[in-house]
Amino acid sequence: MKTRILIFSLLVMAFFGLSVSAVMAQDGLSFCYVIHSDPAGSFWNVATAGAQAAAAQVGADLTAVGSLDPVQQAQFIEDCIAQGVDGLAVSLANPDALRDAVGHAVEAGIPVVTLNSGVDVFRELGAITHVGQTEFVAGQGSGLRFNDMGVSHVLCVIHEEGNIGLEQRCDGVADSFSGTVDRFNVASTGVNDLAGTTSTIQDKLTADSSIDAIITLNPDVGVAARDAIAAAGSSQVLATFDLSPTILQAIVDGQVAFAIDQQQYLQGYLPIIFLNLYNVNANTVGGGLPVLTGPGFVDASNAASVIALSAAGTR
Amino acid sequence: MNEPIIQLKHISKQFGTVIALRGISTEIYAGEVTCLLGDNGAGKSTLIKILSGFHRPTEGEYLFQGKPTSFASPREALAAGIATVYQDLAMVPLMSIWRNFFLGSEPEIGRGPFRRYDIAFAKRTVKEELGKMGIFIRDPEQPVGTMSGGERQSLAIARAVYHGAKVLILDEPTAALGVKQAGVVLKYVVQAKARGLGVIFISHNPHHAFVVGDRFVILRRGRIYGAWHKEGLDRDVLVRAMSGSEELDALKHELDEFARRDVQK
Amino acid sequence: MLAKTDDDRRISVGLFRKVVASPEIGALVGAAVVFVFFSLISPDVFPNIVGLSRVLDPAATLGIMAVAVGLLMIGGEFDLSSGVMTGTTGLLVGLLAVHAGINLWVAIVTSFAFAMLVGFVNGYMVVKTKLPSFIITLATFFVFRGVNVGVTRLVTNQVRVAGIDTIPGFELARTLFDTEFQFAGATFRTSLIWWIVIALIASWILLRTKVGSWIFAVGGNPDAARASGVPVKAVKIGLFMTTAGAAWLVGMMTAFRLRSALSSQGVGQEFVFIIAAVIGGCRLTGGYGSVIGASIGAMIFGITRVGITFAGWDTDWFFSFLGIMLLVAVLLNTYTQKKAAEVHTPKAPPEPEPARSHPETPS
Repeated sequence: MKTRILIFSLLVMAFFGLSVSAVMAQDGLSFCYVIHSDPAGSFWNVATAGAQAAAAQVGADLTAVGSLDPVQQAQFIEDCIAQGVDGLAVSLANPDALRDAVGHAVEAGIPVVTLNSGVDVFRELGAITHVGQTEFVAGQGSGLRFNDMGVSHVLCVIHEEGNIGLEQRCDGVADSFSGTVDRFNVASTGVNDLAGTTSTIQDKLTADSSIDAIITLNPDVGVAARDAIAAAGSSQVLATFDLSPTILQAIVDGQVAFAIDQQQYLQGYLPIIFLNLYNVNANTVGGGLPVLTGPGFVDASNAASVIALSAAGTR
Repeated sequence: MNEPIIQLKHISKQFGTVIALRGISTEIYAGEVTCLLGDNGAGKSTLIKILSGFHRPTEGEYLFQGKPTSFASPREALAAGIATVYQDLAMVPLMSIWRNFFLGSEPEIGRGPFRRYDIAFAKRTVKEELGKMGIFIRDPEQPVGTMSGGERQSLAIARAVYHGAKVLILDEPTAALGVKQAGVVLKYVVQAKARGLGVIFISHNPHHAFVVGDRFVILRRGRIYGAWHKEGLDRDVLVRAMSGSEELDALKHELDEFARRDVQK
Repeated sequence: MLAKTDDDRRISVGLFRKVVASPEIGALVGAAVVFVFFSLISPDVFPNIVGLSRVLDPAATLGIMAVAVGLLMIGGEFDLSSGVMTGTTGLLVGLLAVHAGINLWVAIVTSFAFAMLVGFVNGYMVVKTKLPSFIITLATFFVFRGVNVGVTRLVTNQVRVAGIDTIPGFELARTLFDTEFQFAGATFRTSLIWWIVIALIASWILLRTKVGSWIFAVGGNPDAARASGVPVKAVKIGLFMTTAGAAWLVGMMTAFRLRSALSSQGVGQEFVFIIAAVIGGCRLTGGYGSVIGASIGAMIFGITRVGITFAGWDTDWFFSFLGIMLLVAVLLNTYTQKKAAEVHTPKAPPEPEPARSHPETPS
């Protein structure tokens, strides 16, 4: 009896599997999109939506995967190579770690476009182009805005360990800002425990009253910082990297001064389009230079128009 | 008469202000079963723990094979040949019979890095040794946890005998057993004695003790209440002495009841 | 099923029942089911040598850890610092070789000695304090999680140690620990060879040496083991050191593969190791299990991860799938353990004296 149930459920699973694979197995091209994070995060789901929209437009299969663990990210890339995909879009947050895997893709004749992180190494690794913003420049732009606002002590909140891009943003802020920039590590709670991150930031604000501005590097952490400021009863100037519906509303409400928008939808969308063009028309975009998607700034002057698009998951 | 294998002279043990044992003097002889009887709290456990090296006496002399001895640990006592089979059994229930039988003294073959457990020997030996005591096991791979309580006690006794014990201390081996299984264990106690071991049989059941014992020592409140040889001893005397009161006759009825319930404990 | 022999106290047991009784069988069935499942979904890319090579890549390092953690669990203990130690050992090599300019091999050996020390301290604290190893090693985990970030940032001003591939001797070290090689038309990694060798040696020690018996005993009933003269403390400390040693090996593999060491490396992996061991039939409370089973548990992980990627599914579902796998594996293990007991304890024995563990009560 038990054996029969087991066999039956196996058959059901197999049937389900076959029908899924039948849907997946189209004759078009297949691309891999491998990022250094969970594809469902509030930043990355917009980029992933862009990649999926592009794949749908050109009629290609898309495998969208990601992991914070560089070993796993390298293994995902190797998996894609083994599958014989027609193109690889990859974010290079840890270029050293992915050097070999990306090298294997290039050796196997798979066109590679890097996205989001990796602007310094994409050429060396043999990628066609890079789609993203340069983190240092984006950081510099924010530093200049802080100067205009007349603040003197900025807290740069780092929410992830081992992401070189986040460090570069803070470096950029420190480079152009005329006052003090302190780094504040909240990676122990990060985006996985935003309540914890909120209270950690609140404690920091209570402990150091000289801080008059905060910049967060992720929109969820931006919201956490907004709540922390409210809870601490203080009035720091808040800015954040990247958008989310909540952040946009907070800009409209005057709780957040500005957001640095890198238009990550494009970071998912464009690489797939570029890879498709490379395959069907032998085009290369960028001419050896990165394709920049940012920084753009969203503040009270333009937030309202972006809100509707953000709610749709494309901004 | 031959020399006692263990001799205790005026042994006392104090835990802080509590006096657990006072002036215990007795002898254990090879090839005899010495029964240590007494109610709960009489000092039986403390006395075994001194004999097996867990505790050292506060006062008095402990002679093993005629020499004054002071064991630092149960392992030392075990190495000297004093094996204790505890009530809660030194067995690993999830492990096979043969692994349990040789636990801590595994037979090995091979050299250097290829030195390994002689499993074939272990399985064969455990079957033989148990066979000698009349236990036929179905499969030496059987986990000990699947054996009955009596079988486990018997296995523990067989293990101690095989590993060269000179003195075997059995802590309430029949306490948790039914009548039938207790009978099986008592049989192995007699066999261990026949092999020339000095057996110390701890019990608070005078009926079980009377069947196997050669000498009887009754402890009450940390002192020796009395000691008897089997010859000419009436079981009732023992029962009475153990219950330890002259008012016994008046309570005889209830005490019989008590003794029966005691079996279940 | 159970045939009576001439001696009616002995019962011969069918081969099928004996196979069912082994701890790894649940994992083996699980691995087969998952493999067939994903083979049906991706028939073109999954069930072939290339697909296998992909499965073995993540399975190898996980498998090495699962073997060590499995032994430790059979010995009745946990090590929550095993994940973070794979990061600490790699960072230490990077910091010593890249930033302190110490010879790479000296750095590697120093890192090993350090891992041994951490393993010893873990074990020593567990046997001395008699606190649950869960708590002791959780403390170790937090300490090193902080040290990894703190020291790395202090020395490098970053959160990783880069440039390990610029040190003289890197290529040789990489060849030793984790490089690629071609076999039967697919690319495999040397970590696979390490895994196979370690699993075989560990299994031999567990099943064929006295130390193996001691490991089962200290996990199954430490008091009994002590009373039988087993050096319980030494065995437990040795098991913690073995786990730390395995973490060192995987740390080396990761650092040389990635040419860098990340301060967050390995955080959270400790539960994956434990899960692989549990899927492989290791009892959470100790005293029972198999390192081959733990290795198969690691294989299930590899099959699932690669299978989902090949199927083009959303990896969002990976953990849900894993949860179901874990549950099924544990249920299967419980079921087989019950069957295992039945092999030895027939329900209707021919003897009037049934083998029961509870005492009979006289009438």
